[in-house]
Amino acid sequence: MQGKNKISNRQIKALLVTTIVGVGVLSLPSDVAIVLNNGGWIGILLGGLISIPFIMVINKLFSIDPGKSFFQISYQVVGRAVTKVFLFIIFSYFIMVLAYTVRLFSEVIKTYLLENTPTEVIILTMLLATAYIARSKIEVLARFAVMIYPIIVGFVIFLLVVNLPNNDFTNILPLFDIDYKLIPRAVYASFFSYAGYEILLFAQHISEDESRSLKYSVGSMFMVIGIYLVIFFITLSRNGIHQLKREIWPTIAVIKEIDLPGYFLENLDGVVMAVWVLVVYATVGPFFYACGVTIAEIFGFNSHKLFIPFLIPLIYIIALIPDNLVTVNEILGSIGNYLNVAAVVIVPIIILIAAYVRKGREKV
Amino acid sequence: MKRCLLFILLISLLFLSGCWDKVEIDQRIFVSSIGVDANEDGHMNKFNIIYEYPNINAIGKGATEDEKIFILETPASSIFQAARELSTRVPFPFYFKHVKVLVLGHEVLHDEKAFREIIDELNRDTKINKRLQILVAEGKARDIIDVNVIREQTTDRDLYSMVQDDRSSSRYTFQTLAGLISDFDFSGVTITPRVIIKNDRYIVSGGCLLKNYKHLAWIDEKENRAISAINGDIINETIDAIYDDNLISYTVTNIKSRKKVQVDDQIDVHIFVRLEGYLQGYIMGAEKPAYDSQVLKEMEKAIEKSVKREIERTIKKLQKEYNADVIGVGEHISKFQPKKWRELKDKWDELFPDINIQVSVDVKIRRTGLTR
Repeated sequence: MQGKNKISNRQIKALLVTTIVGVGVLSLPSDVAIVLNNGGWIGILLGGLISIPFIMVINKLFSIDPGKSFFQISYQVVGRAVTKVFLFIIFSYFIMVLAYTVRLFSEVIKTYLLENTPTEVIILTMLLATAYIARSKIEVLARFAVMIYPIIVGFVIFLLVVNLPNNDFTNILPLFDIDYKLIPRAVYASFFSYAGYEILLFAQHISEDESRSLKYSVGSMFMVIGIYLVIFFITLSRNGIHQLKREIWPTIAVIKEIDLPGYFLENLDGVVMAVWVLVVYATVGPFFYACGVTIAEIFGFNSHKLFIPFLIPLIYIIALIPDNLVTVNEILGSIGNYLNVAAVVIVPIIILIAAYVRKGREKV
Repeated sequence: MKRCLLFILLISLLFLSGCWDKVEIDQRIFVSSIGVDANEDGHMNKFNIIYEYPNINAIGKGATEDEKIFILETPASSIFQAARELSTRVPFPFYFKHVKVLVLGHEVLHDEKAFREIIDELNRDTKINKRLQILVAEGKARDIIDVNVIREQTTDRDLYSMVQDDRSSSRYTFQTLAGLISDFDFSGVTITPRVIIKNDRYIVSGGCLLKNYKHLAWIDEKENRAISAINGDIINETIDAIYDDNLISYTVTNIKSRKKVQVDDQIDVHIFVRLEGYLQGYIMGAEKPAYDSQVLKEMEKAIEKSVKREIERTIKKLQKEYNADVIGVGEHISKFQPKKWRELKDKWDELFPDINIQVSVDVKIRRTGLTR
């Protein structure tokens, strides 16, 4: 296995799922329920389906010149200067997502587990720990993702099984009482939870079988949609729509309420938080890696290892700018969302269009 | 150079290790039950909060102290404010993750705002388990908790094991914090078990009907049983009926209920209740032995009649007297006919007393016991 610079499509799938599922999974059910009430599932479904064309765009981008990295293709198509501008946008997006994720992570940990530990310490320890894995190559990240992947899937299955006996599934009804004008807002609310597939930009070109990786990428997207939908319906059926809208992190609230017959399991939130730390680690790691690679490319370095430690203070400072949880979502969340659209949607599309225009010209 | 580095690393151990949140398990007070009473004299401190917690030193084999439980009481403005007030009297901080029972004095429930404050506080707190059992004391919560001290029982162990599964009786319906909140969300009405004191013992009996975070009425055991039957959550209950001048008792082992709601100009509700069970008692030397399908059919009819009468009487009371939709008709419409519910929602309180409710009861005697 050593010295192999390729990753398998399975690893890509695991990498995508673990990167996408992160802090969003705790708050997503109530985010969409606030907009669409019981019809929130349609927001989750459409938010995921809308992301699939962008995966296809990224995939198409690599098919321009198979085997070449995203940077090389971009240099070829739009030139060095424009690429650097694009890279800067992508870089700032990654910084924003990282800051948002670690801040939310520390808020959740502080609320449920470590009340007296300062936010700064939680953020810093998380960043230092992820910096370690972010300094390695993408193959290592992919292998790590394969380890985390069963934990995520197992966690969702566990959640489903322990909640089946006690949940009142009529709470899901009415399923189709949806105000269609509000769907775009619900999709917007869920879209950021699907951020993370842009890791493909840094992973796909070293895939073993690039022609078939699209199938796996789209498959992983459906996997994530499935995970989110299961969690939405569990949280909804637990206590009904009103309480779901009231809660900030309904997923943990459901875990706290687990009450199995024989009740030897209670207050499982501590255990689940420990699992969740791994999940967030698997989200922050790839983002951190991608962030380092982007900045290294901007400055024309070959290795990103050098940059990772210098990014820690930057992310740390941005993460600490908002005063409280509400402003975390207002400031970091919304800026992250705009940058997400710019970096993941607009940039690849521009490059792809430019590639086609150029090709057309060459033919003429 | 290497030695210097090692030295720095070793020294750093002293400063880098540490934990802000470390608390030894015996340095915590595990509050197990909370009681809330109204406090009329207090200006800001409108509640009388009672904490009950076990004495860790009196548990287990090597117990060093005798007193099993401690009770602390203080006027306070909220449940958690009481912890601050009491902190001057106890050596360790309170810990609320294992609170099992909340006993509310019924006076608290007459003040809607106060009750809403309590529930919000508990719902918002990160430590409180949402499966916390809620009971309403007819009288003061303090007395309920005190009764246990005399008998050396702990409220949480006794009351909690009584209500947690609702397994022993359908004479009361257990209610958790989460269940209470979602009931109020859906229909604005809910029932919590009532605790009363009789002969220095508490009894959980009947329920307290709450509407929009306010006390509405007490309901007795029979009414509670009827409401449980409508909602389909009777687990173990014996029903008496008169058959052929003899008293027969019938034990319910399984119940299923469903509703059919038709909304036109008039709202028609049809409630189907299906009981399954066995014959518990009849009479020696009966003229008509029970081991006969014809006799069993007639017995079923007799039980059906008695159950139906009980349910109908309760429904009438709920409609005309209390105007409390605790049988979930509104919830049913909101789930299955959401469009119509939007029109009805705002005037449901005026509509509910006049809706047409029909009850069908289907009783099945599956077994007759050991004798014919």
